[in-house]
Amino acid sequence: MGLILRRYGTLLGFLAIIVFFWSQLPETFLTARNLINISQQISMLAVVAFTMTIVMVMNDFDLSVGSTASLAGVVAAFLFSLGYPVWAGISVALLVGLLGGLFNGILVSFFGILPFVATLGTLTMFSGTAFLISGGKTIFGRDIPGTFSGFARSGVPLDGIGLAGVTMPFLSIMAVIVLFLVWFALEQTTFGRRLYAIGGNMEAAKLAGIRVRTLRMSAFALTGLGAATAGLMYASRVASANPTQGSGLMLDAIAAVFLGMTMSEEGEPRVLATLVGVLILGILDNGLTQLSVDSYIREILVGAIVVSAVAFSSISKQKR
Amino acid sequence: MTLLDLTHIAKSYGRTAALADASIDILPGEVHALMGENGAGKSTFIKVLAGIVKSDRGEIRFQGKLATIDNPQDAFDLGFRFIHQELNVVPQISVAENIAIGGPYPTRFGAMVNWRELNRRARAALARLGIDTIDPRTKISRLSAGDQMLVKIAGTLSDTGNPACLFVMDEPTASLTGEESERLFKVIAELKSAGASVLYVSHRMDEVMQICDRVTVFRDGRFVETKRTNDTDKDEIIRFMTGRDVKDVYPERTFDLEEHLVCRAQDVSTRRIRGLSFNLRKGEVLGIGGLSNAGQSEVMQALMGLDRILEGTLKISGKAAPQNPATAWEGGIAYVPRERRREGLMLTRSILQNTVLPHLRHLSRLLGVVNRRSERDMTQRVADIVRLKADSLKQPCYQLSGGNQQKVVFARAVGASLNLLLLDEPTRGVDVGAKFDIYTLVRELSARGCGVVLTSSDLPELLGMCDRILIMQDGRQTEIVETRDLDPHGLLSRFYAA
Ligand SMILES: Nc1ncnc2c1ncn2[C@@H]1O[C@H](COP(=O)(O)OP(=O)(O)OP(=O)(O)O)[C@@H](O)[C@H]1O
Ligand SMILES: [Mg+2]
Repeated sequence: MGLILRRYGTLLGFLAIIVFFWSQLPETFLTARNLINISQQISMLAVVAFTMTIVMVMNDFDLSVGSTASLAGVVAAFLFSLGYPVWAGISVALLVGLLGGLFNGILVSFFGILPFVATLGTLTMFSGTAFLISGGKTIFGRDIPGTFSGFARSGVPLDGIGLAGVTMPFLSIMAVIVLFLVWFALEQTTFGRRLYAIGGNMEAAKLAGIRVRTLRMSAFALTGLGAATAGLMYASRVASANPTQGSGLMLDAIAAVFLGMTMSEEGEPRVLATLVGVLILGILDNGLTQLSVDSYIREILVGAIVVSAVAFSSISKQKR
Repeated sequence: MTLLDLTHIAKSYGRTAALADASIDILPGEVHALMGENGAGKSTFIKVLAGIVKSDRGEIRFQGKLATIDNPQDAFDLGFRFIHQELNVVPQISVAENIAIGGPYPTRFGAMVNWRELNRRARAALARLGIDTIDPRTKISRLSAGDQMLVKIAGTLSDTGNPACLFVMDEPTASLTGEESERLFKVIAELKSAGASVLYVSHRMDEVMQICDRVTVFRDGRFVETKRTNDTDKDEIIRFMTGRDVKDVYPERTFDLEEHLVCRAQDVSTRRIRGLSFNLRKGEVLGIGGLSNAGQSEVMQALMGLDRILEGTLKISGKAAPQNPATAWEGGIAYVPRERRREGLMLTRSILQNTVLPHLRHLSRLLGVVNRRSERDMTQRVADIVRLKADSLKQPCYQLSGGNQQKVVFARAVGASLNLLLLDEPTRGVDVGAKFDIYTLVRELSARGCGVVLTSSDLPELLGMCDRILIMQDGRQTEIVETRDLDPHGLLSRFYAA
């Protein structure tokens, strides 16, 4: 019994939340439209959280993902405003994310700076750069090409599977693709095995022939790339870019990974568990908004749920 | 009257019974050995006595009266002192604090820590072990594992105002050198003549026969037999432990060495060693000997590419020495590091994950996708070779007994084909039977042309397995000796020779 609770406590809580909202909002909550809406709302957080899982597998952190996301959006929008084509803006923005992540990786693995400190520093650096490029203003309106903002508004129609009038947004599809890629890399390949080994015991991994530095660096680069992707998705969705729009992503992403970690036996991050964490946060947000619960109360509730899930799982782990 | 009786102790973890029906009685003033194969339940039994693990069944009587030990404080109050198998020092604080940590700190004005007194007590405790080279003020993480163990032992000897009647030592000599062990034995004799009892766990037959009055054997969590050491012999104890006949000897080399070299070092220096020169032939077993911390591990680290080579040339299999452990493993060099928990294992990960780690390259297909079947096959194969005792290959390593953890580290090293095998204290904490299996495997590997470099604080092991022994002193190579006509005393005197 205790074992089941420990293993599946978070999952049961997740189901309880769904049942609760379902009973409170019988008309609107469990409808295809609302679920698809949720999937779109959480898609950016999902991408950041999935790629955050990559570094957290090694017991590392990346606090700079939020400002990387903002920076990527601003860079793309800035290039658009200069008349560069969409593909160029997107590529440069992704490259900026990749290089930013690589920079984090170098600080952490070659200079041996604690990830907390290193990425706290780059958080402000990236954020400052975003302000500098945008001049502190929001870039919007005619500067954003229609093809770019149109991406977030369109999707694949689901008429074929009996859901007339409903479309699966491209943003949600993006999140699923990223989920698959991260899952494949972490769970199926030697790359993932090695990252988990670094998280298990860095010294032992090194002595067993794992190239710890290179791997840590590339993991951070991937997290940066993921953050930039999310930043572009966000900019596309709101058809504008400003230097603070990604800042909410970081804490939520880390919270999602932590929620996921409560689900595995040894408390290590798993990307499918992170998905559950993201869903919990997203569904709470959606349901509470529909119930018109005050947004401050929403924040208190979300924080309390994260803390109690983690506390519950660590207490039940101590008891063995 | 007995000092302590533990009867019918049982403890299960899920479906595994670590202890099924274990009993012991300890007399006042005796040194009592507790023996058994790896995973027999010795450490679990000790943890029950220490109040760390709660038993499912059984009772504990202290001086005839029923006692309850629910937490470590209860055990301390009864006068029990413990040295557990796994070093549990607090790495960030000083030696003196680690010694004082069980009891109250000495204070001044009732509030401030009296550091001078704290250090004095630590120095006194260390002096009882004949140690004056460890400064009580150093951070303990800077000491070698052997020195940390000595500090831990000193901690139990330190005067706390509450007299101790029982000292429990779980494989204290596993990371000590010969002389350090001898000093410990002297202290044990002193404790004994002062009327205290000692419960002593070890896999080293000779020392058990030398210092213990009685011996109790467990097998698979059950009491098997208690005997006076004078009324029994090594073979009988091994039979009690294993239920079979195991030879307590070193398998002989049965082939002639080839002329080809595996490894050639000429005047090699790194940051920590100087003047390393040797030729290692295919199939040869070269020992690295010396007093504690004379540079034995550092030789391994140089061969493994962990330390940059500052001077001289080092060639392995005709190629330049590896730049890092990754290239070393790729070049067929395998390494069993000295400290299994810190350097060897990912404790929360499964046996399988730990075993395949250095071999992932060989176990993957297109795009680096891991081939799970080959992973399982490799792990099963090497686990069988070392007779690993575990519920399944998915079991996390922290659940294994100390000796079985060591077997995982060894098994991992022999997973792939090898040119050079580096063994730094490979049999630390491993039981007699499994030791013999490991020795046999080393012989098989060397028969196939693999060179072996071995360090061991167990001199008979060094002499029994090695063709030659390279002697280190203060990080410098002094000589290389043939083992053929050497005995442990002769070897030891070479360690001291200037
Ligand atoms: N936390 C745990 N969970 C599951 N099984 C455990 C746990 N701790 C110990 N065991 C099992 O209990 C058995 C006894 O382990 P124990 O550590 O007492 O052996 P031991 O006699 O001290 O062996 P060694 O000589 O190797 O130190 C082992 O099979 C081990 O796998
Ligand atoms: Mg043990």
